[in-house]
Amino acid sequence: MSELLQYLITGVGGGCAFALVGSGLVAIYRVTRVVNFAQGAFAVIAALTASTLLATGLPHGLAEGLAVAVGALTGLLVGLVAIGKPGTPPGAALIATLGLGVFAYAVEVLIWGDQPRSFPGVPGAVEIFGARFQAHYLLIIGATLAVFAGMGLLFTRTDVGRALSACASNPYAAKVVGISVTRMGLVSFAIGGALGGLAGVLVTPIQLVTFDYDVTLIVGGFAAAILGGLVRPALTLAGGLLLGVAQALVAGYGNAAYQMEVALVLMLAVMVWQAARKPIVQEETA
Amino acid sequence: MRSRVVRWLPGVVVAAGTLALPPLLSSGHLSVYILLGLAAMVTIGLSLLMGYAGQVSLGQASFYAIGGYTAGLLSVHSFPPLLGLLAAPVAAALFALLVGVPLLRLRGHHLAFATLATQLILLSLVGQADWAGGAIGLQGIPRLSVGGYEFAEDISYAYLTWAAVALTLIVAHNVVASRSGRGLRALATSETAAAASGVPVGGYRLAVFALSAAFAGLAGGIYAFYLGYIAPGSFPVLLSIEYVVMAVVGGLGTLWGALVGATAIVLLIQVLTTIGTQPGMPSYAPSVLSYAVYGLLLVVVVLFLPHGMVPAARRAVERRMTQTLTVEKR
Repeated sequence: MSELLQYLITGVGGGCAFALVGSGLVAIYRVTRVVNFAQGAFAVIAALTASTLLATGLPHGLAEGLAVAVGALTGLLVGLVAIGKPGTPPGAALIATLGLGVFAYAVEVLIWGDQPRSFPGVPGAVEIFGARFQAHYLLIIGATLAVFAGMGLLFTRTDVGRALSACASNPYAAKVVGISVTRMGLVSFAIGGALGGLAGVLVTPIQLVTFDYDVTLIVGGFAAAILGGLVRPALTLAGGLLLGVAQALVAGYGNAAYQMEVALVLMLAVMVWQAARKPIVQEETA
Repeated sequence: MRSRVVRWLPGVVVAAGTLALPPLLSSGHLSVYILLGLAAMVTIGLSLLMGYAGQVSLGQASFYAIGGYTAGLLSVHSFPPLLGLLAAPVAAALFALLVGVPLLRLRGHHLAFATLATQLILLSLVGQADWAGGAIGLQGIPRLSVGGYEFAEDISYAYLTWAAVALTLIVAHNVVASRSGRGLRALATSETAAAASGVPVGGYRLAVFALSAAFAGLAGGIYAFYLGYIAPGSFPVLLSIEYVVMAVVGGLGTLWGALVGATAIVLLIQVLTTIGTQPGMPSYAPSVLSYAVYGLLLVVVVLFLPHGMVPAARRAVERRMTQTLTVEKR
């Protein structure tokens, strides 16, 4: 019983990272219709930045905060390239973000080398009903819930959030009432960068991060976000947690080597099921 | 008459060039030449898939891997190597049909992620399969031999590879020029209109997917015999992305574009590796340079040359020619 609880908590912790990366994808896709392949790179860059800042003696909290800001800035830069040129179709922007993701490898290896890095998180272990786990998991879960609640408030209670939602539901109408769709697209890229960065910073203490860890994160994040059709943050959170728990259970009771397959097969199954239920007619562009 | 000569001339020149080149190359350059041919084969298939069927595949290296492992496993278990080479494209195409039936319901970014996921699953399964050598890989693949002739020297592999490239080009050209090719082009422009005109959309998409997999499988089979050793690490996700870069840079949906794109990228990477391995350069220089160039090229071409190098060059030449013609008329 305590074993199961332990797997559940570590699974939820791991799933939170997927949910955060996935919500970054959702934030960008809703507004710009671009699936951002560089989303995993935001997390890796922020994680590596945090490890360097902590090594120079900056206190915890400040270092992580700065790293998330670096993630947001990276998101803004990626957005400028991907949607900055007027008339770039989403398909081309997808390939462009793929290119930027590969380019990020060059920057990461140049600055941080190709060895895995980590830094300590919240010290100590916690015991609840006989299940022992690192206290850092509580921080991950708490921070993720706070961020999702904050996002909900942002999108419904602030002007920027309402403008973002307007662009998401009808770009043309948003333009008519005076909202700059491109600027909102860039804002969404910055938000996506911050969310990705937060995922990277939170996950590094429990998971070594190398420059090519972004593939795992982006695939997990996409798998989480696809459950809500890439547009619904709440379902993304549910998808991420489901994924994390499924992986932890497979690793705990089965074979840890098959963790990755669980995420991938789950994602494929959801996508094929969605397509079978509602056949996608290719959007015609004039 | 003249236009026919003009149309065939580049092909003949390229064919003569590829035949004349191998004896002139040093052994290091010869291996680049072979790998270039193999990359071109995969890219031709991917260009067909992306340009004509309008589908992005980020898992093309998985078919390359299937071809390599099919050829390698058969010949390690002392089947005749020729059988292994012939089975490589067949196995890759069968695998594509198998995964294509569910996956090709997906479009655009969904399909891109699905093919990426397929490759990750395949690599992970192969890495855990002891009968396929596991993560260490499959060693001791014999050299290819047909009848009594053994492909022992690199130069024989160069000719084998480029013969396979020619075969790939001919098959692809005939598919594109045929009735089904016209159906495919209709499909890429508007799926709804193509379906309404009676093009069997699903079947054609699946057929192109399988054909592109067969090209990649054949290339993988030759690769296995040439190197004599394959491992899951020989087929990373980045390799699939490299093929996308080659196809996009050359120009999607043009067969020459695939050849030009593969050549341009392979030569560029070769130059960068030479620069990166100069004395005094840090050990990570070659990989940093190649990541940077792949990334930048992909971004620049997608944003500023969306049709790729070959169509852009062709249009520039045509514009020049019409200009001179109008001047002459005056």
